[in-house]
Amino acid sequence: MIEQFTQGLALAMRFDTIALMSIGLFAGMLVGALPGFTTLMAMAILLPVSFFLDPIVGIPFLLGIYKGGIFGGSVPAILISMPGTGASVATSRDGYKLTQKGQSRKALDMALTASVFGDTASDIFTILMIFPIAYLVMQFGPPELFAVLLMSLIIIAATSGANPLKSLMMMMLGLWLSFIGTDPLGGVERFTFGLFDLKSGIPLLPMLIGVFALPEVTSVVLRNEKGRKLAALMGERLTLSELRRCFRTIGRSTMIGTAVGIVPGLGQIVAAMLGYSAAKNASKHPETFGEGELEGVAAAEAANNAVNGPTMVPLLTLGIPGDNVTAILLGAFVAQGLRPGPQLFEEQGATVFAILVAMVIANLLFLIIGYLSIPFFSRLVTIKTSVLIPLVIMFSFAGTYVYRSDPVDLLILVAFGLFGIVAKAAKFDVMPMVMGFILGPSMEYAFGQTAAMSNGNTLGFFLTERTGALAVLLVTPVLGYLLWKRLYHKAPVAA
Amino acid sequence: MLKSLTKAALFALATAGVVLTGPSAAQAEYPEKPVTMVIPLGAGGSHDLNARIITSIVPSYLGQAMIVRLTPGAGGQKGTQEVARSPADGYTLLFTHNYIDMLQQYVESVPYEPMKDFVPIARVNYAPVSIIVRADSPYQTFEELVAAAKAEPGQLQLGHSGNWGAFFVPAAQIMKKLDFVVNLVPYQGGGPALQSLLSGDSDVTLAFPSAIGELLEAGKIRVLATAGDTPLYEGVPTFSEVGITGDIGFMHRFVLAPAGTPQEVVDKLTVAFEEMSKDETFAKLMSRLGESVDHMTGAEYQKLREQQAEDYQELVKNLTSQ
Repeated sequence: MIEQFTQGLALAMRFDTIALMSIGLFAGMLVGALPGFTTLMAMAILLPVSFFLDPIVGIPFLLGIYKGGIFGGSVPAILISMPGTGASVATSRDGYKLTQKGQSRKALDMALTASVFGDTASDIFTILMIFPIAYLVMQFGPPELFAVLLMSLIIIAATSGANPLKSLMMMMLGLWLSFIGTDPLGGVERFTFGLFDLKSGIPLLPMLIGVFALPEVTSVVLRNEKGRKLAALMGERLTLSELRRCFRTIGRSTMIGTAVGIVPGLGQIVAAMLGYSAAKNASKHPETFGEGELEGVAAAEAANNAVNGPTMVPLLTLGIPGDNVTAILLGAFVAQGLRPGPQLFEEQGATVFAILVAMVIANLLFLIIGYLSIPFFSRLVTIKTSVLIPLVIMFSFAGTYVYRSDPVDLLILVAFGLFGIVAKAAKFDVMPMVMGFILGPSMEYAFGQTAAMSNGNTLGFFLTERTGALAVLLVTPVLGYLLWKRLYHKAPVAA
Repeated sequence: MLKSLTKAALFALATAGVVLTGPSAAQAEYPEKPVTMVIPLGAGGSHDLNARIITSIVPSYLGQAMIVRLTPGAGGQKGTQEVARSPADGYTLLFTHNYIDMLQQYVESVPYEPMKDFVPIARVNYAPVSIIVRADSPYQTFEELVAAAKAEPGQLQLGHSGNWGAFFVPAAQIMKKLDFVVNLVPYQGGGPALQSLLSGDSDVTLAFPSAIGELLEAGKIRVLATAGDTPLYEGVPTFSEVGITGDIGFMHRFVLAPAGTPQEVVDKLTVAFEEMSKDETFAKLMSRLGESVDHMTGAEYQKLREQQAEDYQELVKNLTSQ
């Protein structure tokens, strides 16, 4: 094992590996920053390129695109309140507020540092604990996933807005919106009114851009400040003392993200939200969260990146891809004659460790590439609003359209934009709605699977066979209540 | 090392080059502009990966670039509808599989008529399913599994990749053919279904060869039967040998064009796909993905489609009437 590791280390330290990984990181960052283009698309298109490269070059190249893409997504989230994926929703909340305060550079620096730390720590943890993690992954089936998703939703509702009742209402709305379309299990159409365009449900991207970016654009326009800029300056870089202040938060979020990564089917979105909620709950001044708190950016970014290490485990140990990103990586592995699976470590130990080490190196490289790129990105906000706002609007519509070339998506974008403006005016937080919308289908699917597994006797199944899931379900209301009490006992809301 | 880098760069350049230059001769003959291949499924799936290889090889036989457009939604209906409504000029093709193509129309109302609206160009390849259990499973043979299912109807858990999908349909067809019942539990894709088998949530599942290889060699799973009549694994019976005959358990990947496409365009495409299937680089790249190349012309595949239409209609009627 140790020998394989050192061999792997030597293999990974190659000039061409590092060069192509850098290209991948940079390309991924650009693609991730453009709304409507996903990292997944970039990886699928460039997969054949990796076939012609050495395994120790080709796979790190794809990993570079992936890692760069995740950070890239938080750039528009922070600068113009436009999260391109669910994973950067939590980041945009405090990130955009920091931009408005003229501290966009600090926010981006923090996002980068926290991402890199979360990713590196979880990668190292994964390398050391790969077999215990592989065992743990197997303990989670649909009933457990359902219980954990339900708990996550309750935590998000209890901690996100100023008024938990309003949050809960918005979450219910989001859950209902996720029901629109074809029922994922039975294939029955729900709330589509016979319209074919609603059959595949409401797409996420127009909703995200609609409720997060368009209301901000409108408020800038309504302020009617001619010749002004979104932020007068891009501000200072992150200081060491600020980083030190957030260190506990980053560590906590890394642990949360890693744990979330072990549960198959949860993913970055849940990690980011839970990391954010936990940081807010632990903070001595939770009221600053959502108002431009650097710790909020750190919490979300460290958590969503820490998911990456453990999600590789089923792929490496069993050859089973858990999602589309790992499916593409499986393609790349197989194409190189590396068959991921139980024997991979025995047969190709050195190569696998080289790839894992390359993941860690990719993170360090990214710290440098990201640090050098941030000043260029953050200069964006110092453009005059009379130029910037039309650009943002154009990107909103173009990004929405480019995703699947469907004009109906533009109508959905406008509808959610209007909804977002009204919600903002009425002081309803749209975040719980978006979370309900994103997590609803997974939760519903997991519940449907549980019902199918138990032949209909779902309650009995939870009681007798799935005690782990049952325990999570029982803890959930207590946890929700405690969180709510802790955050709001000082200023109880008339509910 | 430099060599492989150069190769990759050349490959990228070649792909870009075809897009930019196209044929120089100025005749208005098909194809005079890049062809779009719509995939009604999401990024990163097996169709997406297959298509990336197809579109990097077929241009050298078609004389034009081919661009992949992913249009997922409504279980494949969104992309299928888009191609059905496209002009029948050969510039928009559909890359799909038999369950979207022929089965869905019987499950729900679809906004097109698969048989009337499309004409097949070529089948690229197919993936045969295998029935697998864990290595420590009490069922040594397919017969033992069926006997157990008959003894306690609905008690065995079969995890599959989603309702009306590539594993659900063969499982339902086999259940009907051999008259037994197992509990069908959907998972979100083949990976999670396989994981449910290994973790013990499912007793049996189905899988494609690309997913089986390593696990079988490592002694984690046992294959009980494989689709078709050609043996895939030593000592494992085929579906025909255990009494499951017909086009059951194959996911065909094929290319369709909108009906009404001019015959000379169809011929050009047919030839291009046929030539591609003989290309050595194509075969090499496909085998690297763990996929085979089993070319069939559109006319040949049309016969399979007609048979599928009959089989699937009966199956759906049977399953939904209970």
